[in-house]
Amino acid sequence: MATVPVTVTVNGTERTTEVEPRTLLVYFLRDQLGLTGTHIGCQTGQCGACTVQLDGEAVKSCMVLTVQAEGHAVTTIEGLAPAGTLHPVQAAFWEEHGLQCGYCTPGMVLTAEALLRDDPDPDDHTIRHAIEGNLCRCTGYQSVVQSVRVAATRMAEGAQPEPLLRRS
Amino acid sequence: MGMLTLGHRRAGMPPAPRDVVGTSPPRPDALAKVTGAARYPGDLSRPGQLHLWAVLAGRPHARILGVDARPALAHPGVVAVLTAADVPRNRFGLIEDDQPVLAEGVVRWVGERVALVAAETREAAATGARLVEVTYEDLPVVADPATALAPGTPLVQPGRPDGNLLTEVRIRRGDAAGALAGAATVLEATFTTTWQEHAFLQPEAGVAWVEDDGRVVVETAGQWAHDDRREVASTLGLPDEQVVIRYAAIGGAFGGREDLTVQPLLALAAWTLRRPVALVWDRTESMLGHPKRHPMSIRARWGVDGDGRIRGVEADLTADAGAYASTSQEVVKAATLLLTGAYRVPNVALHGRAVLTNNVPTGAFRGFGAPQAQFAAESMVARLAEAIGDDPVAFRQRNLYREGDLEPTGRPLPAGVGALATLEACAAEARRRFGIGWDGLGRVPGASSAPRQAGEAVPSAGTDGIARKRPRRGVGIACGIKNLGYSFGFPERATATVELYGRGEVERATVRIGAADVGQGVHLALRQIAADGLRLPLAAVALVADDSAEAPDAGSASASRLTLVAGRAVHDAVAAARAKWPETDDERVEATVTYRPPATTPLDPITGEGTPNYCYGYAAQAVEVEVDPATGVVRVLGVVSAHDVGRAINPRAIEGQVEGGVAQALGYALLEDFRMADGFVLTRTWDDYLLPTALDVPDEIVPLVLETADPNGPFGARGMAELPLVPFLPAVAAAIHDAVGVWLTDQPFTPERVQFALDDSPGTSARVRTPSPATSSDDGS
Repeated sequence: MATVPVTVTVNGTERTTEVEPRTLLVYFLRDQLGLTGTHIGCQTGQCGACTVQLDGEAVKSCMVLTVQAEGHAVTTIEGLAPAGTLHPVQAAFWEEHGLQCGYCTPGMVLTAEALLRDDPDPDDHTIRHAIEGNLCRCTGYQSVVQSVRVAATRMAEGAQPEPLLRRS
Repeated sequence: MGMLTLGHRRAGMPPAPRDVVGTSPPRPDALAKVTGAARYPGDLSRPGQLHLWAVLAGRPHARILGVDARPALAHPGVVAVLTAADVPRNRFGLIEDDQPVLAEGVVRWVGERVALVAAETREAAATGARLVEVTYEDLPVVADPATALAPGTPLVQPGRPDGNLLTEVRIRRGDAAGALAGAATVLEATFTTTWQEHAFLQPEAGVAWVEDDGRVVVETAGQWAHDDRREVASTLGLPDEQVVIRYAAIGGAFGGREDLTVQPLLALAAWTLRRPVALVWDRTESMLGHPKRHPMSIRARWGVDGDGRIRGVEADLTADAGAYASTSQEVVKAATLLLTGAYRVPNVALHGRAVLTNNVPTGAFRGFGAPQAQFAAESMVARLAEAIGDDPVAFRQRNLYREGDLEPTGRPLPAGVGALATLEACAAEARRRFGIGWDGLGRVPGASSAPRQAGEAVPSAGTDGIARKRPRRGVGIACGIKNLGYSFGFPERATATVELYGRGEVERATVRIGAADVGQGVHLALRQIAADGLRLPLAAVALVADDSAEAPDAGSASASRLTLVAGRAVHDAVAAARAKWPETDDERVEATVTYRPPATTPLDPITGEGTPNYCYGYAAQAVEVEVDPATGVVRVLGVVSAHDVGRAINPRAIEGQVEGGVAQALGYALLEDFRMADGFVLTRTWDDYLLPTALDVPDEIVPLVLETADPNGPFGARGMAELPLVPFLPAVAAAIHDAVGVWLTDQPFTPERVQFALDDSPGTSARVRTPSPATSSDDGS
């Protein structure tokens, strides 16, 4: 099939490549860029495991064509915090047991981070609404909500990405 | 090195580390999961790999007249098309090897694998799979287990001794018929459940290759690496040691990865083609391709004496096994045993059977037959309490198992019976949390429910057209029992190797145990057990668990057994290694221990007598719901979930199991409606199969953890991960009844079913609410 050129800024780096027009953003990220932190769960837009940020908004990358991202900025879980550091939302999910199998986690984290930029102090209901499109089959969501709440508190207190090594 | 004990040598050491048994340190594996660095099976690739695509039958029952691979092979990039003729030994299965890797002459369910295409790109493999021309002659479809045993019904697996009857279980004690004839009150009802899909978020996938030394390595996900190895090696006709199963990060399992799916396909292609291979299933392939929770139909008759004691139970269960055995024999034994729940019943006649059909195979799913059986049992208990005007908690308190009671199989229960304690803890917390509930001290017989917090008292259902339209709240409670560990004589053991390193003092340790962490956090729990025993910080205890060649066999991540059995093996291996340490000047000692719990036995085929289990878990749950009679929608507002875990090795992990289990149970009760018609799966994507979101799950899930030490578990711990699935369905049924006065008997409780029940309710309600001293049947409500 014919390909078209596309230029997308991914995690701060401009990437120009050729894709088939039908190529979904998730396959571009995973197969061409090797960013496998963006997961494929359902392929029909229900589960949110493939959530990335497009110009800062959480989107399901199995519902976006790569060509639609032309000229836009994509953030994946690998690019949420500078290399070797944990974003406060990531740190909160880790410390608050906000995951079990972890397959939903990158999507959850990116959805939560986008929420907290819009609404730094969400109540539980707002958090639940925000993550409604991200399915988790393991946790029952209680610890996910708790993780987002803790992240909000820490970010309000000025938490910044912190080095990974100190925490492992 | 001296001859001091470790205790003496430790005298001058720093205080005990923090991250030991009873604490909840962050999970080490979670770090890679929050950064996206964790590799799940679908993220793996090998240099020079071929991509595989399985051709699925897409029809429930057909004779294969021919497979023409030529059009596929002519497609650019397609390297090979493998069929049954390419499989060295074309049979596998967890309990019984009745399933082909690739279909041989006939397909028996829509998800059956018929051919395997290998190509240089994933696109070419997909196209190649569409180009494989399989010619079928459709055969009559056996879709209804109720008629599958009728004479003249086509056979799903011709040649089996009992036709479509896969297995049959009978458990008898006392004289059930006589007891029911003499009982003061007898109720009878039929309950049905449908399939449940595990819906683990990460679809089946993996890579495989052949090492220079001739070993076939399959890197994938699963629940029991060593048994995957046994089954895969058998399909290739190789010794077990020539196959290596490695687990990548596992994206959920819940029983749905117990059976092999992609593993033998990966191994076959790598072995045959001598190239690395990768296979990734899409969601629909996953929905079709692995066994589900069993649909069951259960007819139950329960009778009580005038003093409110359960006198006898007759129950009959039919499970749809689908096209292949999977674990159906074991599930049906477990379900039949639990048809009387956690209640002392002197007279029982229990009958269970699993029936082969051309539906999707059914097997293990968190709970393993217990949820279906106790939907019936707990619903009957609730109805009996109501029928005799008793309080649902008091009635249970009178009848629940006590220490030393006999099981239906005629032998005493294993020690550590927490049925009453979990119920009482749950009831007390529910009253405190929900502000309503049961006094548990014997409400006046015949008194109606107390006024609800939500407002007015519940009117007679279906009699008040205006009142009926308002949402109404109700509360329900139920108990649950589930075996922990393998049952009925299945070999039960776990082996751990512990290596200690250090000069003088033990400085660090490596624990080897082939236990699968499917997300539940068992790897951390095992490290905590070892760290505690060695008085080492967690960081000084390494774990090797994900490679069948590098760690000994722990048995499966199933039956809520790993903390109990694998944990005990680690505990004992730590003790054995520690005992060796002062005896040597070596800087490394090693000990391997196989732990075997008390033996269980198969049941006597006639009487059902035997020792089915060595350990049980007990739970009780209270649920508050709001039912909207106008729409039939049921919302769960709050849940109290009480569990006797023996000892909480990692309390936060246990709470996570409770919360996650409740969410799965909520889906099972209200949302998840896996449907088939004439052998075809109608719910093929998550567009059609509804899963609970953050908004479906209540804000309030209260885990209550009791710790009655188990005599065998490490530090007294027992398993618990399946228990949240057990009482929930009947608790919701009771809560709906409390809210709007109808008993639902068909799972899931969809809005349509709630509305139909309300439409039919005057008759149903009258039969239930006006108990007669003689038999009152509300069958079919």
